[in-house]
Amino acid sequence: MGTVVSIELADDLPESSLAALVDDTCAWLYEVDRRFSTYSDDSEVCRFRRGELPLDACSPDLRHVLDACADLWRDTDGYFDAYATGPLDPSGYVKGWSVEVASARLAAGGSHRHYINAGGDIRMRGLNDDGRPWRVGIRHPWEADKLSWVLALTDGAVATSGTYERGEHVWNPRTGEPARGLRSVTVVGSDLALADAYATAALAMGEAGIAWLAKRVADGYESAVVTDDGRAFSSTGLPAAV
Amino acid sequence: MRRSTAAAVGTLTGAALIAGVRLSVSAPVVTAAPPAVDLANSGSSPAPSKKPAHNKEAAKRNGANGGGSAAADASGLKDGVYKGKATDYAYGTIQVSIKVDGGKITSADATYPATGLSASINPKAIAQLKEETLEKQSAKVNTVSGATLTSASYRTSLQAALDAAGA
Repeated sequence: MGTVVSIELADDLPESSLAALVDDTCAWLYEVDRRFSTYSDDSEVCRFRRGELPLDACSPDLRHVLDACADLWRDTDGYFDAYATGPLDPSGYVKGWSVEVASARLAAGGSHRHYINAGGDIRMRGLNDDGRPWRVGIRHPWEADKLSWVLALTDGAVATSGTYERGEHVWNPRTGEPARGLRSVTVVGSDLALADAYATAALAMGEAGIAWLAKRVADGYESAVVTDDGRAFSSTGLPAAV
Repeated sequence: MRRSTAAAVGTLTGAALIAGVRLSVSAPVVTAAPPAVDLANSGSSPAPSKKPAHNKEAAKRNGANGGGSAAADASGLKDGVYKGKATDYAYGTIQVSIKVDGGKITSADATYPATGLSASINPKAIAQLKEETLEKQSAKVNTVSGATLTSASYRTSLQAALDAAGA
């Protein structure tokens, strides 16, 4: 199953430079897909998990991903688990990380005003094309054409995990049942890979995830949650648009 | 003002990788985790601050400003109990204290004083996000965050409409 990545650059740069930046971003995302796909047998991840590639021969990128997954497993009390389905599947970290890296590459290439939205998870920098902070809508969890919050951000990440798009696909490891209790979890912070992992972990926790998210505020990660029965919660530091 | 959009479709699923059981992990010494007793009932002078200051460094600084007395160790930390400034957070007023013994931080606690001297501590209630009403908005936005779209569901999404409008 694929997803769609939308990129917007608001920099005042020549058209050719913008096109080259977009091309470079797409090339990087395709490269990540090739190397980290669990669907293609010759990807680095698949070779590593079959034991054909020893750890010390893995690329620095893969080793970073493995380390990060281990850290997240610990930091989420096991609710984020790259081995959940048996063999290593780091996709839940790789998506956010690849966009995080893509945004850094854009910045290094001269774009300081952009967003990259990978199927609903967003990393942005600088100001939008009106010279204001980027306005990010959080999709209403029941009505696809409505928003439940609107945020304003310059540099940062917004990640949402929810059960409304692909049905029950997140599992509560304590019960072995599909995660229940939360319909939508949005996490806002500096690093998209962490924001995405936190949102997914909280969704898996169910309502206990609300209290868990409250503790992430101290690390700089704000959140907005909608429960299955339609109650909404948000941390007071959520960067709501005015 | 230039604007450029592009869509790329890949096979990264971003599927949730959730399972496996693991109970809580031993926290590093700097974690201000379990709800603690209000050590001295003295911290309830809330000074509104936007800056997250309830980490060990801040507590250490505040403590140092408050003037510890014991001898400084090689680490530069004086023995004693140091309390950070009580700070208003989303979930209540929180104060961090650390205990320094032999120049090392030996314990760290976060206290959640409610109002008054006989503060009843209710960390469970404090550790919630604020409940509000779920609203429906149709405001103008640049981009939309939501549960991961499939290539198919993208076509009917708000984000697709935004991309089409800007292309």
